[in-house]
Amino acid sequence: MSDDTTTPDTTHGTDIDVATLIDTFPRTSLTPESEYLETIEQPAKSADTAPAADVLRPELAEPYPYDLFSHQADALDALEAGDNVTVTTSTSSGKTHIYGLQIARNLLDAGVLNADGSRAADNNDASTALCVYPMKALTKDQKEALDDLYEQLGLDIRVEIYDGDTQSGRREIREQADVILTNFAALNIYLEHHDKWSRFYSALDLVAIDESHTYTGIQGMHVAWILRRMQRVADYWGGDLQYILTSATIGNPEEHSEELINEPVTVIDNDGSPHGPRELTLWNPPPRDKTSDSTPEEDVFDIEADAGPEETDTDDGEFVAERVPASVEAPKVFNHLTSRDIRTLLFCPSRKLTELSIQRADEHRRNNPRVYDQSTTVGREAYNAGLGRSTRHSREHQFKTGVLTGLATTSALELGIDIGDLDATVLMGYPGQRQAFWQRIGRAGREASRSLAVLVGDHRTLDQYILTHPEYLLENDVEDAVVDTSNNTVFATHVLAAADEIALDEADIDTFADEDRLRAAVKMWREAGFVDGYLDAAVHYCGPSRPQTRVNLYGTTETDYHLTLAGDIDRDRCGLSEDLDLEPVEQNRAYRDYHEGAVRLLNGQQFEVVNIDENRAQPTIELKPVDCEYYTRTRNKVNVLDAESEESREVNGFTLHFGRGTVLVHHHSYDQLYIGNSEPKQQGIPTNVPPILMDTQLCWVEVPEDVETALVRKYKNYGVETGVDPDQTDIAHLGYIAGLHAAEHATIQTAPLELRVDKNDLGGLATLVMDTHYTHPDYDEIADSIRESFEAAAHALEQRTQDLAVRTASGWFIYDAVDGGLGFARAIYDNFEALAERARDQLSDCRCGQSNGCPACTFDENCGNDNKPLLRASAIDVLDQLLGEADRNDLAEHLPDDEYGGERRPVVFYS
Amino acid sequence: MTKQSSSANIQSDTFELLTLPSITLEHVSQPAVRDAVQYFDPDLITIPGPRNPKAHASVRDTASNSPVVHPQLSQGGRHIQHYRYTADTGLHEAPNSAPPAETIDVIAVQTRDLLGRLHAQLISDERHTGSDAATFVIVPQLTVEWDAASLSTTLPSAADLAALAAALPEPVTIFAGGQPAEYYHEWDLQHDHTAVTVPVAGLGATERDGSQFAQYACTTHGRVAAEAVDPDEFGLRALNGIGQATATRLQQSGCRTVEDVRNLAVSDLTDLSGIGRTTAERIHAHADVLDSAEPLVLTNKTPVKTRDDRPPLCIDIETDGLSPTIIWQFGVYDPATDTHQAFVEKDDPTDPEPVLEAFITWLLANHDDRTLLAWNGHKFDYKYITQFLQQYLPEYVDAWDDVWTYDLYKWAIRDENALLPGRTNKLDHVARALGYDSAGTGLTGAQTAAAYQAFMRNPEGSASEPDWERHEQYCEDDCRALWHVYHAILDAPRRDVTDSGTGGASGQQAGLTDF
Repeated sequence: MSDDTTTPDTTHGTDIDVATLIDTFPRTSLTPESEYLETIEQPAKSADTAPAADVLRPELAEPYPYDLFSHQADALDALEAGDNVTVTTSTSSGKTHIYGLQIARNLLDAGVLNADGSRAADNNDASTALCVYPMKALTKDQKEALDDLYEQLGLDIRVEIYDGDTQSGRREIREQADVILTNFAALNIYLEHHDKWSRFYSALDLVAIDESHTYTGIQGMHVAWILRRMQRVADYWGGDLQYILTSATIGNPEEHSEELINEPVTVIDNDGSPHGPRELTLWNPPPRDKTSDSTPEEDVFDIEADAGPEETDTDDGEFVAERVPASVEAPKVFNHLTSRDIRTLLFCPSRKLTELSIQRADEHRRNNPRVYDQSTTVGREAYNAGLGRSTRHSREHQFKTGVLTGLATTSALELGIDIGDLDATVLMGYPGQRQAFWQRIGRAGREASRSLAVLVGDHRTLDQYILTHPEYLLENDVEDAVVDTSNNTVFATHVLAAADEIALDEADIDTFADEDRLRAAVKMWREAGFVDGYLDAAVHYCGPSRPQTRVNLYGTTETDYHLTLAGDIDRDRCGLSEDLDLEPVEQNRAYRDYHEGAVRLLNGQQFEVVNIDENRAQPTIELKPVDCEYYTRTRNKVNVLDAESEESREVNGFTLHFGRGTVLVHHHSYDQLYIGNSEPKQQGIPTNVPPILMDTQLCWVEVPEDVETALVRKYKNYGVETGVDPDQTDIAHLGYIAGLHAAEHATIQTAPLELRVDKNDLGGLATLVMDTHYTHPDYDEIADSIRESFEAAAHALEQRTQDLAVRTASGWFIYDAVDGGLGFARAIYDNFEALAERARDQLSDCRCGQSNGCPACTFDENCGNDNKPLLRASAIDVLDQLLGEADRNDLAEHLPDDEYGGERRPVVFYS
Repeated sequence: MTKQSSSANIQSDTFELLTLPSITLEHVSQPAVRDAVQYFDPDLITIPGPRNPKAHASVRDTASNSPVVHPQLSQGGRHIQHYRYTADTGLHEAPNSAPPAETIDVIAVQTRDLLGRLHAQLISDERHTGSDAATFVIVPQLTVEWDAASLSTTLPSAADLAALAAALPEPVTIFAGGQPAEYYHEWDLQHDHTAVTVPVAGLGATERDGSQFAQYACTTHGRVAAEAVDPDEFGLRALNGIGQATATRLQQSGCRTVEDVRNLAVSDLTDLSGIGRTTAERIHAHADVLDSAEPLVLTNKTPVKTRDDRPPLCIDIETDGLSPTIIWQFGVYDPATDTHQAFVEKDDPTDPEPVLEAFITWLLANHDDRTLLAWNGHKFDYKYITQFLQQYLPEYVDAWDDVWTYDLYKWAIRDENALLPGRTNKLDHVARALGYDSAGTGLTGAQTAAAYQAFMRNPEGSASEPDWERHEQYCEDDCRALWHVYHAILDAPRRDVTDSGTGGASGQQAGLTDF
């Protein structure tokens, strides 16, 4: 190869294999046999194709330059047969062409296009299509993809984007476009003035929902209802439409799609696209050298950077208290690959880390001069949604054309934005879900050449589980996507919007919602004064204008807090622009992260919250730019009140419940921690924010009396082993409640392994006095009596415990940490045994050797009780009993000889 | 069709209750309150919402002619205050004796807890009400609560309210202080295992719809018709171009009322308020308009173009609600012949097509060369006529598109071609301010829609059959009111305020000949 070759060739992959990577990586201890590396080989797969002429009419097949992959052919056949279709195949498997070609067929069939691809008439009243994307960047990318396809096919099809960025020509687009590309937040608003879209909706015959797996949780709920409202509008104008959804692999594509669109779908998942062989390496960073007193990440980095010899696997087979963080290790791997001209994506968990990773990769390159040629640089940039649109677009383009060899990105590039082919992916930490994991590593790979994926694990529960249980990744069942249309809070909001768009009547029963639910919602809104009329005639919206704006796709709390600079700040002097350009935050986040005195890093600038003003229509958080050596972390207390069981079942003597209740969260105080080493500067400063009450869904488990009695006695001598301070060891039943607390943490932490749920969307509470948290016929709801004080609630619970002389059970709650609930507790109730098994395995397999566990098994970063008390052994016993995997008789030796007297149990609970 | 003659009776049988919510009063100046009281001229004023003795004193000071009840204060130690109204005697505080049967009673309780005591007084004959005319009960802080998670609502004190309604032979209507001003719902409640229907109307002490002042025409049958007006439409804020800050500055300078502004020279107005001359001229002109009840045209644009010299047809439609399923009435007034034509669907409310077809064929056959005029037509009348034609009679869409349609509201208000008197931009308010003598059907748009909704639910029942003549008259009244406003605009003086007040007589006349 000549020296002057400067243009990278992106059309041919650079073969990379793990052996080479390990062999050349600048760390002497690193060998393929290293205890912390594990490599899994995935074989190549050849393409499965069908001639385009078998599926498409000649006028499309002839100009179409490729064969069709089998899944494209199957999907086009199913669409031709009139089915709704969900295509769940890998990234870059040509999903856009499926709906692109179907649109072309529709336009030809409708006579909008002549057979030669020219327009038969200027107007199109006959066939239109709507394509909805989760991100504006993707919308733009896909418009180009569709335009390219139609240019290739010689078809004069009008593809237009219509969203919040569309400045001019909106009317022309509504009245003339064949294909409109938008997003759901925009569609939600546009439905109000559907009469302006009458041409478009009356001709609508295809709705494409791209990356449909992203519509899960709360966003999925809203999307499901926006689609039902859109369907009503299309029905009203006479559109006869068909849906096509394209999705990454999820566990329940059929159920998820049908929940979204409220119609049956045909799932196409026989991926006919090819890929080369792939090596997947699970990379556990080496232990951190505790003796070197180098807590700050940058210091660690410097010490390690050039030095191979110190990095040895000294602790082989022993518990490792701390490892080098993935945020430090992954950029090194990224540097190594890109320095060898291997086109690589580094996936990072935050925007900030994408920027930092580029710096750290450069540093690693500089610090290893013997390995990396210092006379050249490597084209690497950060990519995230916080960057401006033009910057993002130019980096996409530069990567595609080979100017850049590496991008450090957030999940923004997980979706199908076209950045060309690449050879390797590096994941900074496990992304939380297998679905996202496969989607990310699936970005690399070409038809023929070898590709590489490196998962750099972090020292936390999930990652360590994955690294020690690689078979988990290879199991075939990717997580389910949860869309809970039974959520009434979300439903009720969309009832208002629907009534505003087109009056509701009995024709909406079953098509929009089932009868009882629709009648109940209409009655509620009529009595509250937001609608008038009855379903047997017509129900009209009559409340404040534009009910569509009540739909908040990203959270259910109605109040958003806006972030603004404090009034006395001189913007110019601080170099801050007029608009901070920060998204509003919902109440819970405001109280947690933006209480007075909180210090937050926003777009690279440190801010202190100086005021929360809630006494105005638009609550506002006032910020002051600061430069201080600490950040803040909030402490919270949680309680569950007035839980009411709606369903229950027995599991080996344990009782599982699903129901509703009130969760009270109080972000009561905060700590100031030094940025350098996370050591506390000042602790326990009051936040002065009131508790937040959430009406939500809960799942809970009651431990049977004999199990409790035996375990209380078995673990009665445990004290400081649970992690509590010596002066707190006299809490009655400490060893047992510590086990419940650990079991609660473990079930929440392993929930993402079983369900498509972010553990931050869940909360839990372990308690010895379950009954006091239940709603009780003799008492008012506690939640009604307290608004301001956590202490008042705790006192009321204590009082109730003393009043209720009857025996009460122990156990733990898991709840949806969003007002109204998301349906996660419901899914946990349905899948509790599988979850309990994973939790038990995690607790028993962890090699930390600590009785109270470690971050990899029992600790939770969101724990409101500082991860105290926790006890693995009693947690394992409880879960084994629940799973029926330990003999109940084994506990008999711990049971008292006489009837258990029921000494008074303390009112303690841990979240 | 003859004009309704009973309007005088309806007026006098009805007593007028004005609500000034205490939370709203906190943001409104004393002259604005005085302005509102003068505008509404109520029989009785109530202040719902949180207890606020200062607001009470302030309203009493401005309204010397009307009693003011702030139920949260136990005036004179009375926790239950009781007023009576008859057409003959007007409103007065109730003596403790049995009134004539046709008396309307208005009872205000200090708190919900007193509803039980009120009930006991009424059934023990300790307190009397007129048995042939409605009784209205004001509950100052009653708010309907709803819970979206369980799709349910709670009406606090529902049992007490049902008991009150069941105890009295006459209709009982509840005024709920904490509900929005235009809230009206007939609650189906239970008392002693018997169904009781209790109408509840809101008094506006809530932030929900933006707080408003509202006046309620209360009939002997217990019906209420609300007219809600934003408090910013009173006092100096009523003038286009005066915001809160300017109003405060002017008040501090002793300029407190619209009349004060009118009496200021424009140069004084700019000095006092710190606003520019153009805005000041506009404000001054608006003060003239409000004070004189004469409209003023600001530009030399014409509101309507016609193909010949015949005036536009004035049109108004009635629907079953704000997202219509039927346009059940089309009213068209032809000023050229002084005739009114109504098309009403009286038989099958589930089929919007016949009445639509009757209207469109009549229009196209007889008047396809005429211009149509409506109030807010682009956002309502024309929008829904087009939508319904597209849905039911698409063959007429093109012909309808060729009809010349104009929107006087858009021309005058949104396009800022004229200044009109009236505190809201609702047609009936504007027409009334311009001296239009309403037929006085006593109906509101919401009521006429509600009446048709009741008919839709039970098209066979005689009880739910609307009084068609009254509803036709309501629609005709709007068409004629529109003509009245249009005519007033044609006759109005024209001033181009952007031309620094130099427009002389000849300039005005030049513009007017365009009409």
